Amino acid sequence: MEIAASKVIFYIIAAAILFFALLSVTSKRILRAATYLFIVLISTAALYFLLNYQFLGAVQIALYAGGIVVMIIFSILLTSHAGQKFEPVSRLKFFASLLAVLVGWALSLWVILSHPFVASSKEAVEVNMDSIGKALLSYDRNGYVLVFEVISILLLAAMIGAIVISKKQPGDGETNPDNSKTSK
Amino acid sequence: MLLQYLSLMRQEVSLIFIAVLVLICELTVNQRYKKVVIPITLVLFGVHTILGFVPFDGGKLFGGMFATSHAQALMKSVLNVGVFIILLQSVAWLKKEVNFQKSNEFLILLFSTLTGMYFMISSGDFLMFYIGLEIASIPMAMLAAFDTFRSKSSEAGIKFLLNSALSSGILLFGISLFYAISGTIYFDDLPLYFSPVSPLFALGFIFFISGLAFKMSLVPFHLWTADVYEGSPTIVTSYFSVISKGAAAFITSILLFKVFFNQLYLWKDIIYLLSVLTMTVGNLFALRQTNIKRFLAFSSISQAGFILLGLVNVDSLGVTAIIYFILIYILSNLSAFGVVMAIANVTGKEEIKDYNGLYKTNPLLSLTMMLAMFSLAGIPPTAGFFSKFFLFTDAAKGGYYWLVFIAVLNTIISLYYYLLVVKAMFISPNEQPIERFRSDIYTRTALLITVVGIFAVGIYSPIFEYIRNIIDKF
Repeated sequence: MEIAASKVIFYIIAAAILFFALLSVTSKRILRAATYLFIVLISTAALYFLLNYQFLGAVQIALYAGGIVVMIIFSILLTSHAGQKFEPVSRLKFFASLLAVLVGWALSLWVILSHPFVASSKEAVEVNMDSIGKALLSYDRNGYVLVFEVISILLLAAMIGAIVISKKQPGDGETNPDNSKTSK
Repeated sequence: MLLQYLSLMRQEVSLIFIAVLVLICELTVNQRYKKVVIPITLVLFGVHTILGFVPFDGGKLFGGMFATSHAQALMKSVLNVGVFIILLQSVAWLKKEVNFQKSNEFLILLFSTLTGMYFMISSGDFLMFYIGLEIASIPMAMLAAFDTFRSKSSEAGIKFLLNSALSSGILLFGISLFYAISGTIYFDDLPLYFSPVSPLFALGFIFFISGLAFKMSLVPFHLWTADVYEGSPTIVTSYFSVISKGAAAFITSILLFKVFFNQLYLWKDIIYLLSVLTMTVGNLFALRQTNIKRFLAFSSISQAGFILLGLVNVDSLGVTAIIYFILIYILSNLSAFGVVMAIANVTGKEEIKDYNGLYKTNPLLSLTMMLAMFSLAGIPPTAGFFSKFFLFTDAAKGGYYWLVFIAVLNTIISLYYYLLVVKAMFISPNEQPIERFRSDIYTRTALLITVVGIFAVGIYSPIFEYIRNIIDKF
């Protein structure tokens, strides 16, 4: 009975993810698209909770739903007019991409469904924080300290790069004819 | 224990050390002394490059997540040589007033991408590989958008970022299918689960190789290349076309031989097809370019097709030929880009017709460019001939005569458009050729290194033997 209930919940969440993901990419208004994306990310977190991945679910909410969506909305509000509508896609492009998506989707689905996956014999149990923390800082097999450290290089480079691109320079206004009107 | 870690990760550690040192200099050094940072970095990186050739035994660290060997150290060293030449060429550009304020940031970003490539080459599992790939590509987008005052440069940055995000997504989907089959991401364990081949593996592999093909800009995944190459600052374009492409080719060969070796019959045909398409389409598009940077972009696409020739026949000669080819490709392409950059720095001209009559005013630059073009086309006695010769030999040894035939046909086509540039410089008349100018000492040194390299690497056979010995032990 419990299995049936969790199955029903899974299908509801999965349907919600699919529905809002579709809305997110087809919406003509960029801010609405971001909001739909937010719902997709929250639903994904719900999926994790259903699978008993408490930590992953929490990270999903805190990082993606909390951090990244807010950043996306911020950058939309800073750079463009939020009410601006996208231009409609040309008919040929629409049908060509529809065809590509449908064929790719059908092929992947067929291959994945026909694959004989070995059912895991393990019970889905909650992974405790203790072992996650140890794995993150372990340097043996299945330990992730190297990746953890190397990512810091990526973050440092990303920050420096963001500063380089966004920093206003003394020569900026003079060299570019497009900028000279707005900066003076 | 610590010593073992240091000796195996010495290249990564010393490169990160240089990058951090530049960062500290940027934060603390007085503006007046900022000039000295570039030469000091050059010297340090030169030492780092030379030390990279010192042989150390390989090994595995972090439970197999990080793996290195003589062959992988050699691949990193080859990239180092290219980056060193690029650094030399970049000095004149960095000293310009618009760029000087952010010259240190340029160096840091450049070194971070190189660090990513190191980790990618040395990765022992898909997680490390993916993180390395991202470190190698995200800062590249910022380098492409480095000329913040040109909208084309920002366009190049955005295009590169979106394309690399898309290709990373495709690649990750492929990796997730591999994980679904095996339940592991370690390169050592994966081959056990892959045979017998299931359709799911084939699907995952196609996604995975498509993602890599995006990074290597193989046809039909090349559409971003020309715009990004044209929009980026020339120095970044040369980095894209030489170092990024070389690293992607290295990691592809490592993965194909290490992880997917037993599925050879499956991927051989894919590589065959990609190789033919890339050589031919790249060449046909290069024929009609008028902008020298776009022209070099398409020529580098077709060169990537030649690299794939070394992959269809799996043996040590193939890998040797790939490393040798990339070394020579780095030298010849950087020599061409060096001339383009020297001219663009002084005059800002980037069209092929601007080069008309260049020989009359700048004979040395014209000769260098001519050598670079000959080497890219593969005319003896330049090194480009030998590198292509070994690749063709290897493919012919595996019985791929049609592939070699197509490759030779493509070489002939490429000869035509490479000679167009030579013709523009030496024969085409021009009443107002680019005026005579003298480049700075760094640019001249870089061009000298590439010219000597174009001859020496081809004629001096111990270099090939050296690479071969290392690969045989691998």
